[in-house]
Amino acid sequence: MNRETRAKRRLILLAVSLPLLLTCAIAGLVIGPVPIPLEDVWNVLIAGDASTYRVILLDIRLPRLLVGMLTGACLAASGAILQSVMRNPLADPGIIGVSAGGGFAAVLVMVALPQLSYLLPAAAFTGALIASLVVYLMAWDKGASPVKIVLAGIAVNALMGALMNGVMVMYSDRVQSVLPWLAGGLNGRGWHHLSFMLPYAAVGLLLTIPAIRSANLLQLGDDSAQLLGQRVERQRMLLVVLAALLAGAAVSAAGLIAFVGLVIPHALRLLIGDDYRYLLPLSIIYGAVLVAVSDTLARTLFDPAELPVGILLACIGAPFFLYLLRRRSNWR
Amino acid sequence: MNSAIQTEWLAYENGHFRLAELDVHIPHGRITAIVGPNGSGKSTLLRLMAGLLKPDGGDIIIDGRAAAAYSRTDYAKKLAMLPQSKDMTPDLTVKELVAYGRSPHQRAFRHRLTSDDNAIIDWALGCMRIRSYEHRPFHSLSGGEQQKARIAMALAQKTGILLLDEPTTYLDIAHQLELLTMLAKLNRDHGITIVMVLHDLQQSAAFCHHLIAMRDGEQFASGDPKELLTPRFMRDVFHIHAKVSFADQYPIIVPIIQEEDEKMIIVTNTSQITKGDGEKLIERFDRIGKVEGMEGFLGLEVLFTQNLKEYDEVSIVTRWNSKEDFQNWTRSEAFRESHSGRKTPDYIISNKITFQEVKIRRNPLPPSETVEPIAQ
Repeated sequence: MNRETRAKRRLILLAVSLPLLLTCAIAGLVIGPVPIPLEDVWNVLIAGDASTYRVILLDIRLPRLLVGMLTGACLAASGAILQSVMRNPLADPGIIGVSAGGGFAAVLVMVALPQLSYLLPAAAFTGALIASLVVYLMAWDKGASPVKIVLAGIAVNALMGALMNGVMVMYSDRVQSVLPWLAGGLNGRGWHHLSFMLPYAAVGLLLTIPAIRSANLLQLGDDSAQLLGQRVERQRMLLVVLAALLAGAAVSAAGLIAFVGLVIPHALRLLIGDDYRYLLPLSIIYGAVLVAVSDTLARTLFDPAELPVGILLACIGAPFFLYLLRRRSNWR
Repeated sequence: MNSAIQTEWLAYENGHFRLAELDVHIPHGRITAIVGPNGSGKSTLLRLMAGLLKPDGGDIIIDGRAAAAYSRTDYAKKLAMLPQSKDMTPDLTVKELVAYGRSPHQRAFRHRLTSDDNAIIDWALGCMRIRSYEHRPFHSLSGGEQQKARIAMALAQKTGILLLDEPTTYLDIAHQLELLTMLAKLNRDHGITIVMVLHDLQQSAAFCHHLIAMRDGEQFASGDPKELLTPRFMRDVFHIHAKVSFADQYPIIVPIIQEEDEKMIIVTNTSQITKGDGEKLIERFDRIGKVEGMEGFLGLEVLFTQNLKEYDEVSIVTRWNSKEDFQNWTRSEAFRESHSGRKTPDYIISNKITFQEVKIRRNPLPPSETVEPIAQ
């Protein structure tokens, strides 16, 4: 793949991204148990008509769609950043325990302190941050090597999962409300979910812009990054915090959705290479696209039953993960 | 001669490895080679100078200013390095990789390359003669081309000092020479101070102005490579025997291959015998010693001294391949038979055994010009 095809692909992907996102969004609004004609969507959203579809569109489908897209964007950005920090192409917030940390904190709040549910994203961020710091410190030995980070991440992941199960066993009477969240679903996500997730997600997504350069330099390796004037450990720490913030925001609204952070950056890497100036923004957009499309499918495939989108994504993501493992044999 | 880099009492310790107080001087505007056996601290010294390792003591002075006084970015504008590590390199084109060399000069939020940046990137690509494939992905290049691209990235930092950790390792001889010639040209045309760890002493003498030899974490010697490289240097630094000669300024080091040192054990059994009875002991040894058939037996001498006043002295000296061979003899059937059930003869006054382990060194004789007998 030479530069011309790669440059062409960047251009195509960039040009297609926003129209595609819009198309998927419209499809998400139109398709459903109650199909809504396109012109009614227009009338309700733009013209402000008070048609019968108003409730379905404004109170159910639109907030759910926005939460889904934001979740996808955050997860994909978080995964892309973690892959640079850990110089490990298999890094994903779901794999190295970051999401699980956020999930544990969120479950704790939901089950033990249900009256504080507005604190959910803050708790999820804190949990994700603590999990990533634990992973990071455990792996620290005059610098943290990617292999150690992944191993520590697996351990933290298992521990957080166990704690989560422990909490749910102790409060088994209240678990019913948590279960769909755990599977990673967008069912019933409304405006208030969006409103408490939005500040965290917005800050996180904005901070990816200054993170681009460090992410680019860190993937050259510690020595090279340091020789190019980077304070490697500090940069890595900041990026870990940012990845935790993004993962925490996603987890607080949508629960444990894995593989978005793996699949999207990877598919893009195969097409356009590893330059984060393109990789990060495109990951954000296509992450949103993936979750929007998947949720639309999850809602309608088995109508009237509804699949949590996390399960559908795992069904797409796991085979992709295995495909990647076989395709790229030069991983260390 | 002023120094580009100077270290004073530089000390570093990591586990068993220790760099002793190093006073190293890297001459400005010249090419310096650091040589020495594996584990002698060459790379560690280089990494300390590059700021990749923190010294445990002492100072590093870059262009007259303590290294600690530089910010990381300022350091990256003074000194660039090609690390040895075979890090996984991201999927980038050659030019994109080289462009990273500009990052110490860029401001935090500006990613766009200025025309100056582009000119410097182009210059770096040109120096390493890789302009023709600047748009190819790094991973599609051969090892030699990748190495040149990595050096071009360091060059794009536009520093006065360039460190290289074993730049020629993994390259074939043609690429090694090409690379060293390019580095020599860089030094000549642009006055860049170059310091590199090299394994090839001949190349280091041919291409470098200054040589630093490391041994066991210390600077063993430094100076003009053509003067330093002597058979004695080879023996002291690398523990090998070699002849050193020069052909048109190019040093030729011919190792003298030695077989591993042979060793043998000499066992000396000295007995004091009542006057006049020495012959009896010798006769007894001949009768029952049965040493000739033993494995590892190399030979024996019997020394008989009769000129002492009170007693005669008999030394039986046997030579063996190893101590085990000797012990096998003492445990052998024949030996046991001869010793058990017999009293020590009363003519033996005292008896002493000593072991010596000695190296066999045979000086090879100069080839003699013997005349072959002509077959009739």
